[in-house]
Amino acid sequence: MTTCDKVRPRLTAYLDGELADDRGSAVRGHLRECPACRRVASDEAALRDGLRLLAPVDPPASLWAGIQTRLAAAEVADARLPVWRRAAARWTQWARAARFAPTMRQLAGASFAAAAVVAVVTWRGQRGNEPPTGSVVALGQPLSEHLAAAATAAAPAPPVSVEDVTADLAAEPARTTASYDRAVVELMKLAEPSRARWSDGDRAAFDARVTVLRGTIAHADQPRSAQRAQRSLIRLLQSAIVRDDMVLASGGTR
Amino acid sequence: MEMLYHQYKRRVFGMAHRIVGGSDAEEVAQEVFVRVFRGLASFRGDSALSTWIYRLTVNAALSHLARRGRRHEVGDEGLTEVPAPPVTERDSVLAARIETALGQLPPGYRAILVLHDVEGLSHEECAAILECRIGTCKSQLHKARARMRELLGADLVAES
Repeated sequence: MTTCDKVRPRLTAYLDGELADDRGSAVRGHLRECPACRRVASDEAALRDGLRLLAPVDPPASLWAGIQTRLAAAEVADARLPVWRRAAARWTQWARAARFAPTMRQLAGASFAAAAVVAVVTWRGQRGNEPPTGSVVALGQPLSEHLAAAATAAAPAPPVSVEDVTADLAAEPARTTASYDRAVVELMKLAEPSRARWSDGDRAAFDARVTVLRGTIAHADQPRSAQRAQRSLIRLLQSAIVRDDMVLASGGTR
Repeated sequence: MEMLYHQYKRRVFGMAHRIVGGSDAEEVAQEVFVRVFRGLASFRGDSALSTWIYRLTVNAALSHLARRGRRHEVGDEGLTEVPAPPVTERDSVLAARIETALGQLPPGYRAILVLHDVEGLSHEECAAILECRIGTCKSQLHKARARMRELLGADLVAES
């Protein structure tokens, strides 16, 4: 039997039309019979509608000027940074752009390899200090202990369903490609006004580069190759969007 | 860049306004756009551009509140009805009460209500912006609306 305790947590999903037919029908049936839940549902619907109808808030006219002032201040601060800090910032930016995000399996492998290297170095150091015994077992003991400890440390603790991980990994390239596609569409729209202002020569060069990259994406035989070309296209479009602003910032004219 | 600004200024400012309040919204919106313009080159394209910008907005707004130490956490004992403002028009009365109650919600609840109910984004978009699971997003929305109903008190239907 459907009770108030079961219906109340589902009211939000019901009112937003997210409950499947049978569950929605059960909630609807309960609401027909229960005035208290009906009152809660009416209140929540009124609240939801009220929130949807809140008037948009217009930004003040000073917002754009404030942003430009902050951008200028940030650039001045950049110029005052020591060289090594700028290099570190560039490296961080590159790592993010290149999606330098190792998987858990890669991290575990790297940890194991590092532990093994440390173990070997330690073992060799100890062997150098110890008198030769001629016993293979005695010599091998520290290494095996280190390797066992390293294997324990590097082993992933919780058992994860192999099917889930495999399916997730298999779907990852398609997800990334689709995501890049959406970004390209958005950036193309944003780059269009800048492109329209350029000289015929610049525009033709830009279009030619876009065509080449699109051809590479279309004919790539591996997802990685397509994604590499998509990233190049995204960078090209990003450069196109900020190009006019860079020219203005450097004192030039459009 | 100006086109990007014009495309997103209302939503960015609107979100900031409703999460941090009117007095600090401009500062937060400025911070968001500076991050957008300076970070555009490193935008990886692994989410929609809009999702990335809204994520920056929500994060900047919540960080701003945390820095300011002005968390509007309202304990159960502190729940009181929000008094109706002296406005005669019914829609305006309800809107004013909702805006006031929204300002009294904990920041996390405020963020999900602004994204889903005020801005009309889907659960999938909200989850991507808040970097949580869709189920978590739905659960937070349910709790946020319940807290809003408590803050607004009875007779919400009569007001609307």
